[in-house]
Amino acid sequence: MKSKRSIVGTIILLCWATVSVWPIWYFATIALRPRVEIIAPDPIYWPTFTMETWAKIWDEWPMMKYFFNSIASVAGSVFICLLLGIPAAYSLARYRYKGREDIGNYILSTKMMAPVVVAIPLYVLFAQVRMLDTIWALMLVYAAINLSIVVWIIRSYMIDIPHEIEDAARTDGASDLRILWEIIIPMCLPGIITAAVIASVFAMNEYLLTLIIGRKEAYTMSIALANFKGGSDGIIYNAIALIAFMAFFPILLLVILIQNNLSRGLTMGAVKG
Amino acid sequence: MTAATLPATVRRRSPLARKMFPYLLVAPAVIYLLSITLYPGIYAVYRSFYGGKFKLEWAGLANYSQLFTDYEFFNALWNTAYLGAITLLVEFFLAMLLAALVYRDPWVKGFRIIFLLPMLLMPSAVTFIWKLMFNDGRIISDLLKRIGLIDFNIDWMFTPALARLVVIFTDVWQWTPFLFIIFVAGLQGQDKEVEEAARLDGASWWSTFFNVSLPMMRPIIAVALILRGIDILNMFTPIQLITHGAPGGATETVSYYINRVAWDGPDFGYASAISVVVLVITVVLAQVLVRRYFKSGTES
Repeated sequence: MKSKRSIVGTIILLCWATVSVWPIWYFATIALRPRVEIIAPDPIYWPTFTMETWAKIWDEWPMMKYFFNSIASVAGSVFICLLLGIPAAYSLARYRYKGREDIGNYILSTKMMAPVVVAIPLYVLFAQVRMLDTIWALMLVYAAINLSIVVWIIRSYMIDIPHEIEDAARTDGASDLRILWEIIIPMCLPGIITAAVIASVFAMNEYLLTLIIGRKEAYTMSIALANFKGGSDGIIYNAIALIAFMAFFPILLLVILIQNNLSRGLTMGAVKG
Repeated sequence: MTAATLPATVRRRSPLARKMFPYLLVAPAVIYLLSITLYPGIYAVYRSFYGGKFKLEWAGLANYSQLFTDYEFFNALWNTAYLGAITLLVEFFLAMLLAALVYRDPWVKGFRIIFLLPMLLMPSAVTFIWKLMFNDGRIISDLLKRIGLIDFNIDWMFTPALARLVVIFTDVWQWTPFLFIIFVAGLQGQDKEVEEAARLDGASWWSTFFNVSLPMMRPIIAVALILRGIDILNMFTPIQLITHGAPGGATETVSYYINRVAWDGPDFGYASAISVVVLVITVVLAQVLVRRYFKSGTES
């Protein structure tokens, strides 16, 4: 079949690869260019590299703060997701009880909630408890966005674990919680890691709700981007590109780590591959 | 069975505690989600009956009656459906084409990582990449000039068609990989022998793909399109950062419109009324889609 993939097929693949990679490469060079090159009337494809703009950006904007806010809120939200999600997934995967299907479906259906619909109520709520513009509020929101995905991914991996192992442990007198902690969690670790990585990606990328909660102190990388508009400088693309790649590389590393589980994670367990 | 051979948990716990245990495990997650979905829903309904900017003023159904004659709302609704449908279709065909070309290829892993890259950038960053490529940096115009297709720089925000093209292109570039990854896994998961049998019978590559592989992919395609479709219907970032709904509201989506009404007015009451309508549509859709397509993997 491989030989059947004609020259046309190869050309299509190479074209799409170029379309995927070239803009990213071009944008990466933006971070390292002198400012005059970016506002030049015609695009310059062979840039001169300089670290000068970097230093300037670093001086003028609290880049480390954006980075820290992103990492801390993402990590915190993933922690909440796992804390609430693992027991829930275990319950949905392993017990039979009345309403189990409905509870599972409800959890999944929260994924379909439009962020813009919850934006105003959450703004009012966080304003009342004085949590606006804090990374704690971001953590809670990201956790809520991702909990459905985390539960369903982990549940799908737990279902695959054979019952016999648990039954043996149970006969030996292990309690249900101990079985979860000592047998189930280690056995579905790939699923848990997959869920954690995918939740991290979505949390890192969140834009609309972050925009409403983060006012100044809680700026994350995702919304700091839109802020780089100096009055006479116009849009400061150097800084935007720099932030974009500060977020890109950690995510890339995490995703490479789970690349074989990615499709299963993205479909919340519906595709096993 | 004697008491000694019974599992320890059965002996230790009362029947009621045993019955409640799975509920206790799932309860924290459910309560958390209820507080973040049910509460906003109720608040939006409550707020939609009030006008006023910061001080609440009872408005009754005024916000809802305003909705029926709001040209901008129907325009946003239409744009969301129209832009969304085109975007989803383009992404689907591209992803399927690419997946079909690589899924039995020895280099599939390499292609997968390369094609994946756009998806790993933050959407706000991707938006700026294409803002730069199209209008601010004139790069697309420059490339088109070099191959001789045009002889002047195009203003991509000038006509509705071009502005829509930019928005669709941005989403397609970033999110085609999402469908691609899923389709590749789905195609790889199929039985190779079925395909080979079809080929031995003399079926061509394309006819094997369309008549054998594709039909078996139907449940996977449904799940993938639903997940992507939800995100596309909530499209916000490229609108807010590139077009602001321009020109003349041609690219304004519902998400952008609600956000604009809420914060530019600011009119929380009217924005809440629109939110409630969107909420009702989403809840109905979610009920139907989740029950119908996410059955797979349920333990019997």
